[in-house]
Amino acid sequence: MRATFCGARRVLSMANMTDLSVQLGPLSLRNPILSASGTYGHGLEMCHFTPPARIGGLVSKTVTPNPRHGNAAPRIAETEAGLLNSLGLENKGVEHYLAHTLPDMAGVDTVVFTNIGGESVDEFIAMARRLGERDEIDAFEVNLSCPNVQGGRLPFGTDPANAARVIEGIKAATTKPVFAKLSPNVSRIADMALAVEAAGADGITAVNTLLGMAVDWRTRKPGLATVQGGYSGPGVKPVALRCAWECARSVSIPVIGCGGISSAEDVLEFLVAGCTAVQLGTACFADPALPGRMVDELTRLLDDAGVARVRDLIGTVQDGTSRTCASNASDAKAQTDAEVVGRP
Amino acid sequence: MPAPPTDARTLRAEVVRVEPCGDDGVILVVRPEHDLAAIRASRFFMLKRDDRVSPLIPRPFSIYRQRDGLLEFLIKVMGRGTRALAESRPGQALILTGPLGNGWPTIDGGGAPWVFLAGGVGCAPFPMAIEQALAGMDGKAPARPEDITFLFGAATKGLLYDLDAYTEQGIRVLAATDDGSQGFHGNVLQLLDGLWERGELPRDVRLLACGPDPMLEAVERLAHANDLACWLSLETLMGCGVGICNGCPVDTRPDGPLGEWPNAKCCVEGPVFSTEAIALG
Ligand SMILES: Cc1cc2nc3c(=O)[nH]c(=O)nc-3n(C[C@H](O)[C@H](O)[C@H](O)COP(=O)(O)OP(=O)(O)OC[C@H]3O[C@@H](n4cnc5c(N)ncnc54)[C@H](O)[C@@H]3O)c2cc1C
Ligand SMILES: Cc1cc2nc3c(=O)[nH]c(=O)nc-3n(C[C@H](O)[C@H](O)[C@H](O)COP(=O)(O)O)c2cc1C
Ligand code: FES
Repeated sequence: MRATFCGARRVLSMANMTDLSVQLGPLSLRNPILSASGTYGHGLEMCHFTPPARIGGLVSKTVTPNPRHGNAAPRIAETEAGLLNSLGLENKGVEHYLAHTLPDMAGVDTVVFTNIGGESVDEFIAMARRLGERDEIDAFEVNLSCPNVQGGRLPFGTDPANAARVIEGIKAATTKPVFAKLSPNVSRIADMALAVEAAGADGITAVNTLLGMAVDWRTRKPGLATVQGGYSGPGVKPVALRCAWECARSVSIPVIGCGGISSAEDVLEFLVAGCTAVQLGTACFADPALPGRMVDELTRLLDDAGVARVRDLIGTVQDGTSRTCASNASDAKAQTDAEVVGRP
Repeated sequence: MPAPPTDARTLRAEVVRVEPCGDDGVILVVRPEHDLAAIRASRFFMLKRDDRVSPLIPRPFSIYRQRDGLLEFLIKVMGRGTRALAESRPGQALILTGPLGNGWPTIDGGGAPWVFLAGGVGCAPFPMAIEQALAGMDGKAPARPEDITFLFGAATKGLLYDLDAYTEQGIRVLAATDDGSQGFHGNVLQLLDGLWERGELPRDVRLLACGPDPMLEAVERLAHANDLACWLSLETLMGCGVGICNGCPVDTRPDGPLGEWPNAKCCVEGPVFSTEAIALG
């Protein structure tokens, strides 16, 4: 399957009454719907389900410096309200990505994010250097938070200083916009958001999976071969929404919301909470055509509500800070600082 | 990265009827929102009820029959997902993604005879395999009824789902049960051994098998030991069926046709694999 086919393919979309376009920092998106890393391949594989031209952007699965064979099966386990996974960042490595995946992405009619991973600051920087010259990539998303690597220890995603070092290094190595993808497995995500903003990040993705576990008491067997893994899906939505809101009110760079989003209502909740765009992950497993369908649903929902421009909803949550988009970011920051001081 | 088949789509569908089948199964008859082209046997669909009661993640099922614009699935009730589907009423809305996967290889006539080995609900990809083989596949010579031996094994006779349906096609059908309640007392591999020993089947046969893991591992060993052409239809755990969740790895043989990567994605590279390509046991 060639990108030229997928990229060139145009679909007659619904007569859009509503303006769905959003400005994500330096990137203009036709609508706020993106795929989430690791849940939609590199994007083009899925072009018969969602033509790239229908959505705001595609985020690749995490690419690492070396090939990673991934963890043993079972790698996925369904729970009452979500999914656990422990894939172990399986991917064929950056050289394979450069030679075999990226050439197909040339000319794709959507914004392309390459999600990069690494096990040291130097590895992250090397990834940004190696990929930074490629025109097929519009932006990097930095996976600071994959909880599966290194036996569940959270090397970059939980330590603001480490996260800042990674982002600073990447920013120095590339001119492309850099989005820091944060882990929810921290006690104060605003500290992480502030650290990556200060380090020069152009935006934040909030959030990656929560750490979770399942066990069958009858057989005594854990649901995942690695015992613990990343929890995603509808069950994480309130946590993800809170994280995204905390990030959005703390920083002035744009925030992409992610976690448990499965309907157009969910999308708008994240936007109102302060996100400029959202990513769809686990929900695509039940309906691989969801990203494209979500755009139609969003249009319908906004039409019915008489909202002409989706961007007018961003950050309009009545949380007592009367903040709209980036304008009052410094007030929000002041409030976050006040909270820090005010807490025992 | 391997992509899902280009003819696969996500479709809305409606349950037409649910017929009991065997001790613990049903045949779920569904009408997709539009007609589908003829589907190769041993391809599959991801199925889920379109409501907020069912599990989040759809479940994979082989296409069992396709006729009059309807799709039929043979579903053995295992847990939450299969129970929700089996308890559906006519009119229940479903989300269905497919057809997925590769399906059986060309089952032709003229070469070594074919032996189809089914274990329990692993029989699901065979009724259409028999039909398609007898009609001719991929422009090759059709198989004759005498080219095909169908060996159907199960724990007990109530799990030999719809056994009579196979005998109508004129092929040789033999059943085996672990408890001896019907047919040969033992498993399908012992049944096959008996046919060989009595000279009722040539030693050089081509094998297709679908069933529980221990059975498929035994078939894999048999194929290697006797240097037989053999394809297995695997029923791994699946999260998406289209290659995006990475939840369905199958170990590959480093010297096999799938290359050096240590695992393949069952959903988009299978579910049918040659025993030269994968390593189960
Ligand atoms: C390509 C493919 C085709 C299939 N075709 C059919 C078919 O035609 N008819 C049919 O009845 N089933 C088929 N299956 C198996 C079917 O998908 C599972 O039985 C089903 O997913 C179980 O879901 P559940 O929610 O009922 O069980 P769960 O609640 O998920 O699990 C209940 C119990 O079943 C076990 N289990 C779950 N999945 C499997 C599996 N794949 N194999 C063995 N044990 C499992 C679990 O370990 C657990 O003990 C197929 C699977 C694949 C991959
Ligand atoms: C199967 C699976 C694989 C994932 N792989 C990656 C990955 O490679 N890189 C990454 O940054 N996030 C990965 N994630 C996390 C998702 O991108 C997303 O942040 C998370 O699942 C929450 O969103 P959701 O609830 O919509 O799935 C993965 C999630 C799942 C379920
Ligand atoms: S089932 Fe999701 S990748 Fe195969």
